[in-house]
Amino acid sequence: MKFKNNSAKAVEADLVLNDDMTVAPKLTFGEKLRRGFKAQSGWLFVAPALILMLVFTFYPIVAAFVNAFKLDYNSSANMGEGIYNGWGIDNFTRVLRGDTGTAGANFMQCLVNTLVFTLISVPLSTVLALLISVALNSIKALQKAYQTILFLPYLTNALAMGAVFATFFQVIGTPEQIGINEGTYGIINIVLGWFGISPVNWIGKGFMTTPYWRIGQLNIPWAKYIVVIVYEVWSGLPFKILILFSALQSINKQYYDAAKVDGASRSTVLWRITAPMISPQISYLLVTGIMGGMKQYSAVVGIFGEQMGRDFDMGTMVGYIYNYIETGASGYAFAGSLLLFLIIMVITAINNAITKKHTTYR
Amino acid sequence: MRILLQHLTKIFPSRTKGGKEVHAVEDMNIEIPSGKLIGLLGPSGCGKSTTLFMLSGLETPTSGKIIFDDQDVTTLAAEKRGIGLVFQNYALYPHMTVQENIRFPLDNMRIKKEEGNARALDAARLVQIEDLMARKPHELSGGQQQRVAIARALVKMPNVLLLDEPLSNLDARLRLQTREEIKRIQRETGITTVFVTHDQEEAMSICDIMVVMKLGVVQQIGEPQHIYDDPNNLFVANFLGTPPINIFKGRIEGGKVYVGDEAISETTHGDGDVFVGIRPEGFIYDENGAFTLNVDHIEVMGRDKSVVALHEASTKPTVRCIIDSDVVLPEGASQLKFNIKPYKIYLFDAETEERLR
Ligand SMILES: Nc1ncnc2c1ncn2[C@@H]1O[C@H](COP(=O)(O)OP(=O)(O)OP(=O)(O)O)[C@@H](O)[C@H]1O
Ligand SMILES: [Mg+2]
Repeated sequence: MKFKNNSAKAVEADLVLNDDMTVAPKLTFGEKLRRGFKAQSGWLFVAPALILMLVFTFYPIVAAFVNAFKLDYNSSANMGEGIYNGWGIDNFTRVLRGDTGTAGANFMQCLVNTLVFTLISVPLSTVLALLISVALNSIKALQKAYQTILFLPYLTNALAMGAVFATFFQVIGTPEQIGINEGTYGIINIVLGWFGISPVNWIGKGFMTTPYWRIGQLNIPWAKYIVVIVYEVWSGLPFKILILFSALQSINKQYYDAAKVDGASRSTVLWRITAPMISPQISYLLVTGIMGGMKQYSAVVGIFGEQMGRDFDMGTMVGYIYNYIETGASGYAFAGSLLLFLIIMVITAINNAITKKHTTYR
Repeated sequence: MRILLQHLTKIFPSRTKGGKEVHAVEDMNIEIPSGKLIGLLGPSGCGKSTTLFMLSGLETPTSGKIIFDDQDVTTLAAEKRGIGLVFQNYALYPHMTVQENIRFPLDNMRIKKEEGNARALDAARLVQIEDLMARKPHELSGGQQQRVAIARALVKMPNVLLLDEPLSNLDARLRLQTREEIKRIQRETGITTVFVTHDQEEAMSICDIMVVMKLGVVQQIGEPQHIYDDPNNLFVANFLGTPPINIFKGRIEGGKVYVGDEAISETTHGDGDVFVGIRPEGFIYDENGAFTLNVDHIEVMGRDKSVVALHEASTKPTVRCIIDSDVVLPEGASQLKFNIKPYKIYLFDAETEERLR
């Protein structure tokens, strides 16, 4: 991206033919000054935003970067000045090794959780949103009403929705209590029961054990994963539908007429005409969706509580950072946040490289 | 393929309650012989595109029939009709290369990629764009885009080729060139072609048969020259020809045609009010001519010259007479007298605007 030089453009407009037949601007010193200021005056307008960004975004990033290398840092000690034990990369090595004390969150577990949630739910909800948008675009009656209904989840709070999801999936009470209607399996288990599927402890609380796979050092509680992924897919839909639907409406109807005459089937039209036509919006949704997914926190807390499951087995990257700020071992939080920053950068770069190849801007 | 349109009608319902419905095409009856290039000609909004979309299957007729050879295709889906359609603004898929665009109909027919590419190349050669296969549509000029659109329509070897004002986005020179090209391609392939335009010159120059429409109703069908020489009504006479025909208010009295006080011609029709149409090339300068015009100015064009004149009975601001450049006109004359070639004058009923024959 190259910025246009405004002053050069302004000068260009006033070219005069000199005596020696060269073309050059004739400008007084005052005029030059005025134009110079005019060209730079943009800075004045961005200054307020810039100052706020410096204070609330860049300073914390730099501070986190510096503090991540302080050993045994205690920020609240010494009258708020903080104390530390020299410099080093111990915070990083411990974070990566999971050597951060007994009760706290495990970095690798949180990283794997976050990556799995994001890399499954974002593409899935984008494809679903595309299909729903196409369907919505093809109906005429009640289109506005459906659009409104589909957008409603966007207006609800993540914590509250998490609590609702927890209720849907939860198992409450002991088998005896459930037997005498003092407990319940939750609506999901009840519905699955109709199809002969025995109840699963989706949330992982109560008397039943939750199923999990063990992969190396990590426990993968897949039932709980499903809850989060379903939640993220569902909660990601409204915004994605909003974007894709309006993109669809801007496609010229003639492309569809042409495709019809050319004998394209419905799926050919969807994947070879519609999707490429709105590829800028799709790649925008993938990039921002993945960035957002990597920062997931509140929904998991909403569903699994403050401990993010059992001993943070459902922890996310952001959950990890909050956890260590809370327990006072902020060095790990800083190191973790820097690692998260790096990981998001790498993923975004890969994402950009892939989507760029498949995106047509018109 | 021979195309037969029988009582073809398309009525769009009104959007508002109690509003008027639009009769886009009304009771159209045309027979299009196989292998001919036919032109649908008429002013904007007269139902040309609608006719084309009904032929292609993108619109369903309200009533009437469309018959390809002996098959009634009125309700047949667009993709089953074997037609190629070039849209008014091409509708090339912007994210596909030229090659992918042209190959797209073949992909849908599940033709193998190699064969598809070969056939796409053949189609591209026909319209001379084989060097542009790797480009995207936005990297092409309007004329090149148009040829891609034609190649895409031709590649599946359609039974019928439909072109909707394909030249309207091109500049004058390119327009001339491409219309010759369309004619050439149509001859080479022998595909029955329907060509929509609102430009009468364009229609006259390339069509075998011309259909003149007005407000959804066919006014006249025939060879371009025949329609020009023998228009059915005032609208057709007025619509064809550049510069357009001169129209005067006149009357018939005792076998003579009067414009103003002058009897300019003779006729066998009975007395009554008429519109008198005279083609610009129908004037012969004659000192003792029957028809007097007030000269406004004279335009010299090389091959011929135009006398731009005024007449109080003219329905248009000026009267235009084209005469040979070697005819000597008196210098600075404010009035000139003309005789009228009898086969260049047409009489139309003042009420119905139908031709008096
Ligand atoms: N989908 C539609 N709904 C309602 N009215 C329509 C529709 N499509 C076309 N019309 C009307 O039908 C008439 C014929 O339209 P059509 O597009 O066939 O004109 P055209 O001859 O192709 O004009 P142009 O030269 O401007 O392209 C117009 O009055 C138009 O407003
Ligand atoms: Mg049209």
